[in-house]
Amino acid sequence: MSAFHFLRALSQINKTTPKSSLLLRSRRIRHAAYASMAYTAGRSRLWSRALLRRLQRRSRLRYFSSQRTRAVIAPRRLKAVRPRSGEPSRAEALRRLVPGGAGMDYCSLLDETAHYIQCLSSQVQLMQKVVGSISS
Amino acid sequence: MDPSSLVSQAPLPEVWQFPMVGVPPGGPRVGRMKPGPEASAVGNRDGSLDESTVTEQSGGNWGRRKRRDSASEDESSKLVSTSSGNDLTDSEVKRPKIMKSTNEMGNLKMEAEASSGICNKTVDQNPPPPEPPKQDYIHVRARRGQATDSHSLAERARREKISERMKILQDLVPGCNKVIGKASVLDEIINYIQALQRQVEFLSMKLEAVNSRMNTGIEGFPAKDFGAQTYDTTSSLAFNTQPAREYGQGSATEWLHMQVGGAFERVT
Repeated sequence: MSAFHFLRALSQINKTTPKSSLLLRSRRIRHAAYASMAYTAGRSRLWSRALLRRLQRRSRLRYFSSQRTRAVIAPRRLKAVRPRSGEPSRAEALRRLVPGGAGMDYCSLLDETAHYIQCLSSQVQLMQKVVGSISS
Repeated sequence: MDPSSLVSQAPLPEVWQFPMVGVPPGGPRVGRMKPGPEASAVGNRDGSLDESTVTEQSGGNWGRRKRRDSASEDESSKLVSTSSGNDLTDSEVKRPKIMKSTNEMGNLKMEAEASSGICNKTVDQNPPPPEPPKQDYIHVRARRGQATDSHSLAERARREKISERMKILQDLVPGCNKVIGKASVLDEIINYIQALQRQVEFLSMKLEAVNSRMNTGIEGFPAKDFGAQTYDTTSSLAFNTQPAREYGQGSATEWLHMQVGGAFERVT
C-alpha cells in the first residue's frame, strides 16, 4: 500500500517537477515518502494526521502567494510549549521528533512513537528496495 | 415453628433499632464506617439464628441457599459500596422482609427467611466481597504510604501504562534492551528516530539521483546539446538552477547510453 502510493508519487514527481532543481526534487521525494507513510498509517493515528497537515501546509506555502499563507500560518506558530511535570526531560526532544508530538500527553506520545518507528523503518526498507531495484 | 418465630422475633427490636443507632446524622462516609461492625454483629447474630431455624425446617435447602448467597454476593458488595448514604433505605428494605419472616409460615416464610438470611448474611459477608479489589489498592497504598484518593490511583494506572509502552518501544528499537534507565532508553529511541529520518532524507536524495535516470528512460532522448555537457559529471548537488540543469541533462544522456529503460520497467 505504502509502496503503491510512494511509487505513484515518484512517477508523478518525475513528470511534473522540473529537473532544474535537484534540491526541490529530493525534497519532494522525501515529502512523498512521508506522505505515503502517513496515508498508509491512516487517519486514526495522531502522528500521521499531524504529518499530513504539516505536509499540506508546506505545499500550500509553496504554491500560493506568500502573503495569504503567512496570514493563515502565523497564528499556528504562536502555540507555546507548556511545561510538563512528571516527565523525563528527554520527552521534549521526542516531542520534537514525532510529528504532532507537541500536543500529546506523555502516554500517547510513547504509543505514537512506537507506531511511528514501525512505519518509519518499514518506509526506509521500502526506499532501500526501490533504490536497489532501480540502480541494480 | 414456635421457637423459630420466637427466635426470629427476638432480634427484631435490634434490627429496628439499628437504623436509629447505627446511622448517625453525620457525614455519610463516617456513617458508613461506623455501622459496619455493628451491622455485621447484628447480622451475625441474626444470620446464625436464622440459619438454625432454616436448618430446622429443611436440611436440604442448604445448597440452594448457598448458591443464592454466592449469587447475591455481587449485589451485596454493590450494596455496601454504594451504601454510604443509603443505610437508612437498606435497613428499610431489610425491615419488611424480617417482618414477613415473623408473620408468615411455610414456604413463604422459608423464602422470606432465606432472603432475610441473605440480607443478614450479606451484611455478615460485607467485609469479604469488596475486599479483593480493595485489598489490592490498600496493599499498594500501604507500600507507598500515601495515595488514598482517586487521583493517585489514576496516576498509578497511567504510570503502569507508560512503563508498558516503554517496554514496547524497547522491543522496537534495536539494542535498547540492554540499556537501563528511562532517560537512556529515551535517548536510544531519539537516536533511532533521528537515524531513521536521516536515512529517509539520504534515500530520497539517492532516489532523486536514480529517479532522474529513470526519468530519462521514460521521456526518451532529450537530444539537446548533450555533447557539450557530458564532461559535467560532478556529482555535487548544485543549488543554482543553471548548473543543475546542465548536470541533469548530462547525466541523463549518459544514462540513456548505459541502461535504456530497464530500470523503469522494473519499477513500474
